[in-house]
Amino acid sequence: MNTNKNSNRHVYWNPYFGGFLLGLIIIFTFYLTGRGLGASGAMKSSVVALVDGVAPTHARTNAYYSLFLSDEDTPLNTWLVFEALGILIGAFISGGLAGRIRWRVQHSPKITSRRRLGFALGGGILFGLGAQIARGCTSGAALSGMAVLSVGGFITMLAIFGSAYAVAYFFRKNWI
Amino acid sequence: MGPIIPNGLIPIEWDSIIAIFIGICFGFVLESSGFSSSRKLAGVFYGYDFAVLKVFFTAAVVSVIGIYYMDYLGYLDIRQLYVHPTFLWGAIIGGVIMGVGFVAGGFCPGTSLCAVAIGKLDAWVYVLGIMVGVLLFSEFFTFIEPIYDGYFLGNITLMDSFDWNPYWVIFIFSIIAVVAFALADVVRKRVKKVFY
Amino acid sequence: MMVKKKLARFLSFRYVLLALILLILAGGLVMLPKVEKQEGIHAEQLLNKAISTERYVSTDELSDKIISQDPSFILVDVRDPQSFNEYSLPNAVNIPLRNLLDEEYEAYINQTQYDVIFYSNDNFYADQAWVLGNRLGYQNLRVLKGGINEWYNSIINPTVPNEQLAAEDFELYSTRKAASMFFGVMYPEQNRVEEPVIEKPAARKVVPVKKKKKRPVEGGC
Repeated sequence: MNTNKNSNRHVYWNPYFGGFLLGLIIIFTFYLTGRGLGASGAMKSSVVALVDGVAPTHARTNAYYSLFLSDEDTPLNTWLVFEALGILIGAFISGGLAGRIRWRVQHSPKITSRRRLGFALGGGILFGLGAQIARGCTSGAALSGMAVLSVGGFITMLAIFGSAYAVAYFFRKNWI
Repeated sequence: MGPIIPNGLIPIEWDSIIAIFIGICFGFVLESSGFSSSRKLAGVFYGYDFAVLKVFFTAAVVSVIGIYYMDYLGYLDIRQLYVHPTFLWGAIIGGVIMGVGFVAGGFCPGTSLCAVAIGKLDAWVYVLGIMVGVLLFSEFFTFIEPIYDGYFLGNITLMDSFDWNPYWVIFIFSIIAVVAFALADVVRKRVKKVFY
Repeated sequence: MMVKKKLARFLSFRYVLLALILLILAGGLVMLPKVEKQEGIHAEQLLNKAISTERYVSTDELSDKIISQDPSFILVDVRDPQSFNEYSLPNAVNIPLRNLLDEEYEAYINQTQYDVIFYSNDNFYADQAWVLGNRLGYQNLRVLKGGINEWYNSIINPTVPNEQLAAEDFELYSTRKAASMFFGVMYPEQNRVEEPVIEKPAARKVVPVKKKKKRPVEGGC
């Protein structure tokens, strides 16, 4: 790509290479632990822990939080939370090696930072909601589900990308 | 014979350490493939960058082929693996909502964590949003519960529901992936380049 | 220069090559000869279970359990129905060995709530039932050591110890005698004349517990 020097920060791995390694990691994960990868589970655990810390009685009576609360352990002591910590560390190492670490808001030049942040918040809320309803996000449900040919994994994957393509037109200004 | 931890071949205490280690690898690969950039991720929906499709599909194909080879060779018992449960409408509705969130926010949870690690403020806001979403879901759980718990079809795989031979499924799946890659390259050449 | 050109030509084909490799690997899965995998318990595990002392229940333990109305076990008689009707242990369920795998009986032996104690005339057929059950991965299977014969010799008609024997033997004898009275055997020293009650109460109802699939791992995202 003949972009200027500044945007050459975006030199990433060949996607097939990345995908190959990611596939190996999934195999390795299934081989060791019998389960797939995940990401939104860690955020769910943090929310449960947070609510439990702020309003314990509310958390105990709520039908959803109480699923993840037990008396002897914190909801944060789960596999996915440790894995999410690992993701942060791993991404930090990779970003650090490639010199991509700095505070910034990445957005299309056609929109303002404020607009980008607003849409990020809205998108996050929707994704959080959807990930709970579908019991997993792109990594937990779709990617790890597809690795074992789970019907739910395929349905979730098709639903995510189907609806994303369907509405992409309305969000085009944010990206191109 | 794997999976190793559920079969007690190494102590359960390793679980958390392995979790962090796997997370590090996962995060490293995601970030290095460019998944910490929301504009690169969103490219798949506008045809200017198909990294998501390529990484995602390659990973799925490689992992499913690898897992079935390991099963065939007897290193891994595929029946012991966790199969994501199928809640038909939960998966569809949740997936549709996630799709909108994906285009609006430009991340999915895993990739947003990568972007958080390298200091993208939009990712920080996005993660905050996810947490708000989880909070909303939990608070309104009683309303959503019929969808969440309904239409449960079990922890089924394509073989269970359609009685397909898994090996043919994988073979056809790989052909679809290769065709998708080729199409993606054709589309990308036609779409106006976007620099980000 | 030549090398570079060759390399460039090679590189332009690399994706095609990679795709081919992928498809060959995936196709390999289809082509590979399918070997029927041996399912169920491994030989070593079966051996371990077979030599474990847990496997047998002695007649004394069993009579103790029955008398104290221990609810934790099911007695399964693997003899044919005829012998079962002639004589059997209280509350036993009759599952003839030839019908062991029938669906209607699966609920009795394929569950985790109760111990299953197999017995036959000796422990020959009961042992076979035990092996079959273990092969299918059923839990908590036991065998009555010596079967009905041993039951008869030790509980119903215990040998009177002669006087040289140790005190424990006398104790054992009196326990067994007491047990046999419980099971309806009359002794001359008993004054009360009582019809030996040979009633066969209905077999214990078993709530079929769906065996959980082995799924030790938990969830995704």
